[in-house]
Amino acid sequence: MGGSARSEIFASLRKTGRGETQENVQRERLSLGSAPAPEPPATEVCEAFILNVLKNQGSVDCVSNRSEAVQAIAHYLYAHFHNYRLVTGNDSRLGAMPWRDAGVLPRFGSLEAGEPVALSYARLGVVETGAVVTWTGKATPAANNFLPKHHIVLVDKNDLVLTMEKAWERIHHAFEKTGRARGINFIAGPSSTADIEAELVYGAHGPHRWHVVLLGDVPVDARNIASAAGSDQT
Amino acid sequence: MEQRRDTFIDNASAALKNLKQAERRDIIASFAPQIRAAAIDSFEGFGDLRSHVKKIRQHSLDNLDYYLSQFEKEAVHNGNQVHFARDGEELNSVVLDICQQHDARRVAKGKSIVTEETGLNSFLQSAGLSVMETDVGEYIVQQAGEKPSHIVTPVLHKSADEIRELFQEKHDLGPRDLHNTSDLVVEACNVLREHFLQAEVGIIGANALIAENGYCMLVTNEGNGDLCANLPKVLIVCTTIDRVLPRAEDATAMSRLLARSATGQPQSCYTSFYSGPRREGELDGPLETHFVLLDNERSNTLASNYREILECIRCGACLNHCPIYTSVGGHAYDSVYPGPMGSVLTPLLTSLEQSHLLPNACTSCGLCEEVCPADIPLPDLLRDLRHDESTKKLSAPRWRYGLKLHSWLARHPSTYQALTAISIGILYRLGRKRGGFSKLPFGSGWTSQREFPAPQEGTFMKLYKAEIKQNNGR
Repeated sequence: MGGSARSEIFASLRKTGRGETQENVQRERLSLGSAPAPEPPATEVCEAFILNVLKNQGSVDCVSNRSEAVQAIAHYLYAHFHNYRLVTGNDSRLGAMPWRDAGVLPRFGSLEAGEPVALSYARLGVVETGAVVTWTGKATPAANNFLPKHHIVLVDKNDLVLTMEKAWERIHHAFEKTGRARGINFIAGPSSTADIEAELVYGAHGPHRWHVVLLGDVPVDARNIASAAGSDQT
Repeated sequence: MEQRRDTFIDNASAALKNLKQAERRDIIASFAPQIRAAAIDSFEGFGDLRSHVKKIRQHSLDNLDYYLSQFEKEAVHNGNQVHFARDGEELNSVVLDICQQHDARRVAKGKSIVTEETGLNSFLQSAGLSVMETDVGEYIVQQAGEKPSHIVTPVLHKSADEIRELFQEKHDLGPRDLHNTSDLVVEACNVLREHFLQAEVGIIGANALIAENGYCMLVTNEGNGDLCANLPKVLIVCTTIDRVLPRAEDATAMSRLLARSATGQPQSCYTSFYSGPRREGELDGPLETHFVLLDNERSNTLASNYREILECIRCGACLNHCPIYTSVGGHAYDSVYPGPMGSVLTPLLTSLEQSHLLPNACTSCGLCEEVCPADIPLPDLLRDLRHDESTKKLSAPRWRYGLKLHSWLARHPSTYQALTAISIGILYRLGRKRGGFSKLPFGSGWTSQREFPAPQEGTFMKLYKAEIKQNNGR
């Protein structure tokens, strides 16, 4: 069945297709160029990214180094759960964090029942949408993105890109070395639904809190925007 | 796709009498256009983006054989099995075969309009499988034994009270009263979480397929589609052949249009790309993945004058702005695809003989085309379908003869003006004292609902000519 269905469908498509050569099709696509992207809400990259994360109902902490990152995550955990436990993937960058300094007790692996918090280390942050990008693998089990009640995501300032087109450039470049991942996830906020009477509810199937920790030399104005929003510690 | 579109008028009449549902439709009719307008106003280049994506979609469809073949090659390279299905029956059989090969008993489904089109749920259930819709709205609709009434917000027709009663009937709630909307969402998600964890097969749809790398794009806000794609050991992606785009950046360009037009967001919470089974060292993800690509009249539509409907990105903006849809709701159409896009697509997927009333569910106001992010000339396509309906003599004879008479008069303006002058003169004389008519010959469609106002003396053309004459005389 499959073989003949395929043959019939392609035969039908060839009748309507232009029958162009591969080179001509690719040349035509190239001539169409790239899509226009929206202007960022601020000229400074970190500021624009933070503003869009906040717009997506995320919360943000800005930290200068890994030690501060661990402290910020510890504060977040204690503020919400009165403990210092979380789950994270087998990411070498996360394995090398000074967790003990802040008393954080990470479990490296995939989220299991009863574990409310997971931490992911994003590959990219997209300024245009305020999204973080992860791809599946040992370092980022998919369950850690989609099953916890609280999802904390660490993003390097150096991994911020302006648009989704720039994100794809980076993704393709990374996959040239490692091969394609099974899944790529652009995450722009906590899980939500407005299916019942158009009332927006956060925390549908996935996280109801989404907390971004921006790591690097973040300008003061951007830090001020994040701390003024400051809802992450409550 | 089993449909009975000949019931549209009866369904619409019944819907207009359901005032509670009408209130909820009023909410979407005022709320959805506002959030869409705000999202688009804040993106100066939206018009340019719309034109760009239109060109990409046209280019993709012009070269669909090339891009579909490229997608297949790349998807297989990523470790997927790719199947083709000429019609809904074939898609359903392919999916059932896969489920049976794995002795699956439970299926978790993400939102997929394509599998609504093929009737996959009932097909799998009749083979003994437990199939659970996991989108909150779709789950509610499934539990109620109903059909979605909107392609984006499927349970728009139900109130929170009705959903609470449904859960009280179907779930073991104990002392919980599910007072708030969030309680209802949590209740649905708790039930579904168990199903996610137990399902052997996950089924999702796709917003786009990417030829250059063999991925599918999945856009959701709830994350249920991602759970279907990642937790069960087998993943089946069901979509149609016309969803292919050349590049990954084309898919995200389309998502810029989609999220703003559907929900007023710059990006939905989860925009994910999947292709292939779990890689070495991964802790989760499916062990086997399949794409099932459905034609079901798409290739014939591509060869027809209606090919532009294949550029639809399923955002629902045309539904939210349509005065017919927002008055009668999605169930009146008795089709998986309601509203303006559905009134074009349904006759093409079924037959004009079965669905010829739907293209008449149109006031020709043009709003659907104005708000369509894919820039599809929906009013033109609907008009052309009505023309086909008339040519095939599917409409009522008196309607066809009336249109022919109108067409002849429109081509003979002197006769038209003379006849309207006589009619207006009579109506003016008869109605000037009472101000209107409660009954008129051939006008019962109007007068059954409201009084027909008596015209003023003289036709527009008579007044216009007098004005010209007066101006020339100055």
